[in-house]
Amino acid sequence: MAITAAITLTSGANDLVTDALALSTSASLTQAGNTTAIANTSGLARKTTSAAAAGNIQAVTLFRGEDATADGANKVYIKNMSTIAAEYYTVHIDGEELGRLYAGDWAFFPWRAHSGTGSTFTVTIAGSWVAGDTWEFDGVTATATNTTESDFAAIIDATNYPNWTTDHAAGETTVTFTNRRAGGLTQSVPVTADGTKSSSSGTAAITLAAIGTKAESDITVRPSVHTTMTMEYMLFHE
Amino acid sequence: MATTTAAVTLTSDLLSGSLSVTGTSTLMKAGTTADGLDQMRMGINEVPTGTSFDLLDATTAGIDKANKVYIANLSTDTSYYVIIIIDDKTVGRLYGGDWMFIPWNMDDATHDLEVTSYVGTNKIQWVKFHEGETLGTSAD
Repeated sequence: MAITAAITLTSGANDLVTDALALSTSASLTQAGNTTAIANTSGLARKTTSAAAAGNIQAVTLFRGEDATADGANKVYIKNMSTIAAEYYTVHIDGEELGRLYAGDWAFFPWRAHSGTGSTFTVTIAGSWVAGDTWEFDGVTATATNTTESDFAAIIDATNYPNWTTDHAAGETTVTFTNRRAGGLTQSVPVTADGTKSSSSGTAAITLAAIGTKAESDITVRPSVHTTMTMEYMLFHE
Repeated sequence: MATTTAAVTLTSDLLSGSLSVTGTSTLMKAGTTADGLDQMRMGINEVPTGTSFDLLDATTAGIDKANKVYIANLSTDTSYYVIIIIDDKTVGRLYGGDWMFIPWNMDDATHDLEVTSYVGTNKIQWVKFHEGETLGTSAD
């Protein structure tokens, strides 16, 4: 497996400078610090942006810090497909402006991919639960099949949550949730409010174990106009 | 009009189907297709370890422009790398043999482009294409 990235920068004699300029470089994209080829890619993607009004133009997140190995030899390619000269995308890394990609411009650069950490909390199943009782969180409902608390904890663990991953040890009554995205909660109240139980006597106490830290390398682009613009982008990562 | 062309080719057999992405752009001034970037700086530097250096200083004349920067790490040892930083924000690691090409908007005077060398002294080649910069006044 190999990935090759090549660039040529050219300008004719007596054009930009008196002599012709011809720079070319070709790189095999390898993992950090060795010669093993990078093995993962997002694939080439295309996205069209637009906003209802100029005042409502929002940045679009292309890649999140947790999408790649932190401090790896990751590479990002972005191209503005617009043909209207004044239209540009402003490229940001964690809110810091890199630069403007005007119509037809492209960029290729290494990416740090600082991931941050997801917030975590635990839910503890206790009290009297019966078959058919439910616990709802993140828009998903888990249903108890018997009165054994650890069995219900296992069911909660086996349920798929769109925004959280879970961890549970066999026989235990606690389940640990970890946010799939970095950052997130700053206090336990939102989580407590989100867990809804149907049992009148069983409890599902939630405690916050750790507050997440935000990723410091999300790549976002902001279109310059509210009318339709299109870009292509791609990530090669470890 | 000055005409400078930047072309990229990305090829790979990583996927089940072949990947071949090409992009070519003529480096224009901000917001026009009639006037190309007509100024440049170019250099090669050996960057020692231990200190973060300003490779390119941001200038007010470069604010909200279509400046472009090319940097190649000429180190032949692939464990060597430089970290690219813009205004205290780390962009990424450029390992030996790697290159990058980015737009660079000097959106304030502290938006310098910095490099820090790791493992050993890295040799880097760079080109800045731009449409104006604030020259420093001579002190003597």
